[in-house]
Amino acid sequence: MSPPEIKGNLQLRADVIDRGLCALCGACAGICPYLVAHRGRIVALDDCAVERGRCYAFCPRVATDLDAASNAVFGAPFDTAPIGRVAQVLMTRAARENVRSSAQYGGTVSAIVAFAIERGFIDSAVLTKSDASVLPAGVLVRDPDDVLSHARSNYVAAPTLAAFNREARREEVRRVGVVGTPCQALALAKMRASPLENRNNVEKLSLVVGLFCTWALDLDSFTRFLAEKTPLDRISKFDIPPPPANVFQAFSDSTSVSIPLDEVRRFIRPSCNVCLDMTAEFADVSVGAAEGVEGWNTLIVRSERGRELVDAARAAGVIETDALPDENLNHLKGASLGKRRRALANIRQTTGSDDDLLYLELCAETRSRLLAE
Amino acid sequence: MSEKEPLNIIITGVGGQGNVLLSQLVGRVLVRGGFHATIGETYGASQRGGAVMSHLRVSRKMQYGPLIGEGHADVIVGLEPLETLRVIAQYGNPGVAVITNSRPVFPQAVTSGGAKYPTRDEVATTLKDLSRRSWVVDATDIALELGPPILANIVMMGTLVGSGLLPLGAEPFEAELRESLPADRLEMNLEAFRRGIAEVARTA
Amino acid sequence: MSFGSTAERTIDMANIATFEKGTSQLLMGNEAIARGALEAGIGFAAAYPGTPSSEIIGSLAEVAKDAGIYVEWSINEKVALEAAAAAAFAGVRSIVAMKQNGLSVALDYLMGLALTGTRAGIVLVTCDDPGALSSTEEEDSRIVAKWACLPLLEPGTFQEEKDMTRWAYDLSEELKSVVLIRGVTRTSHARGDVEVGERVPPLRQAKFEPSNPLEFTSLPAPFKHLAANQKIDKAREIFESSPFNWYQGPDKPDLLIVTCGSGWFYSLEAVTALELEKSVGILKLGTTWPLPEKLVREHLSLAEEVLVVEEIDPFLEGNLKELVGEDPSAVGPIKFYGKRSGHIPVAGEINPDIVTAALARILDIEHRPVQPQYSQKALALTSQFTHGRMVGFCAGCPHRATFWSIKNAIKLDGRNGFVSGDIGCYSMAVGPAGYWQIKTMQSMGSGTGMACGFGKLAEFGFTQPVIAVCGDSTFYHATIPAIISGIYNRANFTLLVLDNSATAMTGFQPHPGTGRSAMGEPAPTVDIPTLCRALGVRVEETDPFDLTGTTDKLLDLMRDDGGVRVMVVKRECALVRARREKPAYKMRIDVERCLGESCGCSRLCSRVFQCPALMWDAEKGVAAIDSVLCAGCGVCADICPSGAIIRETA
Repeated sequence: MSPPEIKGNLQLRADVIDRGLCALCGACAGICPYLVAHRGRIVALDDCAVERGRCYAFCPRVATDLDAASNAVFGAPFDTAPIGRVAQVLMTRAARENVRSSAQYGGTVSAIVAFAIERGFIDSAVLTKSDASVLPAGVLVRDPDDVLSHARSNYVAAPTLAAFNREARREEVRRVGVVGTPCQALALAKMRASPLENRNNVEKLSLVVGLFCTWALDLDSFTRFLAEKTPLDRISKFDIPPPPANVFQAFSDSTSVSIPLDEVRRFIRPSCNVCLDMTAEFADVSVGAAEGVEGWNTLIVRSERGRELVDAARAAGVIETDALPDENLNHLKGASLGKRRRALANIRQTTGSDDDLLYLELCAETRSRLLAE
Repeated sequence: MSEKEPLNIIITGVGGQGNVLLSQLVGRVLVRGGFHATIGETYGASQRGGAVMSHLRVSRKMQYGPLIGEGHADVIVGLEPLETLRVIAQYGNPGVAVITNSRPVFPQAVTSGGAKYPTRDEVATTLKDLSRRSWVVDATDIALELGPPILANIVMMGTLVGSGLLPLGAEPFEAELRESLPADRLEMNLEAFRRGIAEVARTA
Repeated sequence: MSFGSTAERTIDMANIATFEKGTSQLLMGNEAIARGALEAGIGFAAAYPGTPSSEIIGSLAEVAKDAGIYVEWSINEKVALEAAAAAAFAGVRSIVAMKQNGLSVALDYLMGLALTGTRAGIVLVTCDDPGALSSTEEEDSRIVAKWACLPLLEPGTFQEEKDMTRWAYDLSEELKSVVLIRGVTRTSHARGDVEVGERVPPLRQAKFEPSNPLEFTSLPAPFKHLAANQKIDKAREIFESSPFNWYQGPDKPDLLIVTCGSGWFYSLEAVTALELEKSVGILKLGTTWPLPEKLVREHLSLAEEVLVVEEIDPFLEGNLKELVGEDPSAVGPIKFYGKRSGHIPVAGEINPDIVTAALARILDIEHRPVQPQYSQKALALTSQFTHGRMVGFCAGCPHRATFWSIKNAIKLDGRNGFVSGDIGCYSMAVGPAGYWQIKTMQSMGSGTGMACGFGKLAEFGFTQPVIAVCGDSTFYHATIPAIISGIYNRANFTLLVLDNSATAMTGFQPHPGTGRSAMGEPAPTVDIPTLCRALGVRVEETDPFDLTGTTDKLLDLMRDDGGVRVMVVKRECALVRARREKPAYKMRIDVERCLGESCGCSRLCSRVFQCPALMWDAEKGVAAIDSVLCAGCGVCADICPSGAIIRETA
């Protein structure tokens, strides 16, 4: 199979943005004057005339060869196993209680990212912040103590990679880590794999911490919906408690509102419906909730880099680990496979063809294995 | 020179090059020299990068209208080469004499990268082909030696006078400059005017 | 209120007040009109600038002190006419000048003034712009003469521009009526030699003293209307012997050209070019409303074929036909040629070539205006190079920066916001110069008036943010009532006042924001932000060269749905600033950093931003700066994605 054809800005807009496929990962933003992320959208300020652009090459929703992306990260083709390439699966949590309580679940991400900066695995990290009006964006953190202040998730898609593109330019930034969703991990892998002259300093990318993700919400429509339920500027935390609760919770200082998950699902970005990846299969380590185990995370170690970091963090007592019960692992695999199957079905329904997988351009073998799973 | 009736001169350039002023100065000297002169000017684009053209009609006998008919220019003075080409294509004839500044003001089609602008040689050859006499003068370069680039219009006035295409010599033009200009700018303008005269003498 | 501006006045040209009587001077048509007014002893002149009329009052303003007259730039044409009429009512001869669309602004008052009449002479000069060379529209203002019962003069030569104006004051006082003079671009903005007469100082006995209580009103209207018609009858009599009407040609022409204004020179040249002096006669009329009927009938009866040559509408043509229709037997059968027959175009400018072609067609004469072989060769040699030149914003123009920010803010906002605009330099944003941002443009202040309507459509499902723009001069001229209307009716829009501290499009005339009067004296300033705040609306101020700040403020204003919001975008016109100061920065390109055509730039500066001083060096594959054109504003350094445009303090 020949490598997927890389096109330009206009075609990216036609193939991705205009078709509602944009994941708002931010990979295309901040590398040129034409595409910028603004309030939950990628905005084209002007028409670019470049015929083969990085925006197209990096985008996880167009011309994506999973084997090439995997080779760029792991030095091996794409692993079609239900939760991707796995070196080790653990149950983990931050050792410090204050980290756990400030973070979404077990605080593992905050703990290992702060640790990575402290120990010089990386000198800075791109995280996602959200301000009072639920406007998420990428932010570069250099001080390990600042990591914790960006520990929350608000389930709204954030163009975090625009911050990577912007901040990695800085000379003092040499080894940067990124915490991101599966689409962002894939975009970073595509950056590494891109045959184009890069200039966005992807060689400085030293660690990718992936976050489990089933879907993300559309900022504009969701915040308008949410504003009718509760004042946005008082919200301090969002959560989706484990089943069977089936609700979306928004906490403010004194109160909380619970919204049936089905109502919230209306605001899922359409792009998420064609996403195969729940566990951030292109990250060095991937982290999510450990369902049914309050205050713990599930952690998947995928790369050598990831293993080094996790081992060191455990040795240093920054994280505590335990074995993930088989039942949980099987459940995770089932959920991950479920997302992949739903996505493939949606893709084939969209294209009306088994041959055209929308943004996926796969060799025959990977393709047949993927479809067989 | 033999006086043509009327003598039709077109002065052309791009807005902001001092085209209007040049035609005014030449017309004023001619009126003071006892000629009837009419100048028709395109104003709309005079300061905003548009093509600008003044039609100057000179006669001993009577006043003519402000517009020269197509194909009826006797003299074309161009402050900008592409505009010179544009005017000769519309108003030229085998008997026309042309003097053009060599310095381009690129139209947007060229600055933004798509279109080709003629080289100095292409301009010179084309004008030679289409006229009985032609000069390409580096008026803006001369102006920049002496002061601001806008002085190129006074250099071009010098070339027009020096070419002998007008029915008057240099003296009344120098007198006009002395009268219209403040003292601090006079010498620079006189020098520009004289450099223009010398330039056509050199290439004659 | 127009495109186009006066010449660069880098050299002090004519002082129209100090010419010696009897000398021959090269005068612009507008200057000749102004000189005629001075020779008539005017004391009062007022106008709002508008190409091609601006130099009439502009040249009077320059010599006001020498001539002992009062000259003002009023805030609009209606106020100018009202002020000039007041002077005339008080016994001071006055002149008011405007372009065709300005006449529409003044029309409300003019209709009342026409019935009222005047005491001292008052002349209204209206300059039409055939071909809309400097206008946003093309219209013929002569119809107003017929409509309002006012005498109309159309000068055909430069000498007539002066002489007619001088005489118009005698006519105005004899008829007790405003007199209209109609110029066109090619008479107003052309120059020719004029022999000047004696200048008369104005009388200094101004007094408002009605002879009866209703003298200076239009009441009783039917009576005054009848009187206005009687004035027209009287004018007709006077015009029979006017020296501004003449015939040139054989006693019994095969074809008679009837013409006026700019058509005179073109007709003369056409007859000469075709060597028809012995068979074609020209009746040149200077008094075109009312027509001198006897004179006209007399000449119409000479020929059986008549070609009418005039600019824009078939005004003269229609009146001639009306005249013939009243008593066909008096002139015999006539075949008319002109605009109705398609021989003279009904739109655009006319010129000698058009008249020559019309004449040749009527008389079936072989006529080739140019040598076809030469013409073909010239086109073949030049057409590959003669790319068009779009008129655009100057290098360093604040409007380019403003529309860059508007474009970006509208895109970022994402709700299909749009700009309703009006007339001024910034009108060029209807095209590529301003990134095609202005979507409506009709008249002075119309951007804001339209926003009052767009801003009330929410109940019909309209969700787009509405942005109106107006210039500083336009703000005073016609925008204030629209703002108040918008506030009162709770319309939802953002108004950007693009304050470049100049009436830039028409030649930098001062206005109530500039602190300077038409006569160069210090003047009170009406501060735009203060005025808007006093109206009770949210007002922001920004420097358009701060691209990020301007974009962010506009985004915020667009999201603020609370009625009328105003942002004053203030930065002086680059041309005005350049007269006083050297450029702020010296700009250069760091060719090592320039990304050129590659990914990450795609020639943003030369291809998209498009300042005329930014060029693309195709050979080297980098951007370049034309140091002759660059105004050193420094804005391009802020758009360059790779920091390759370097701003050095000059």
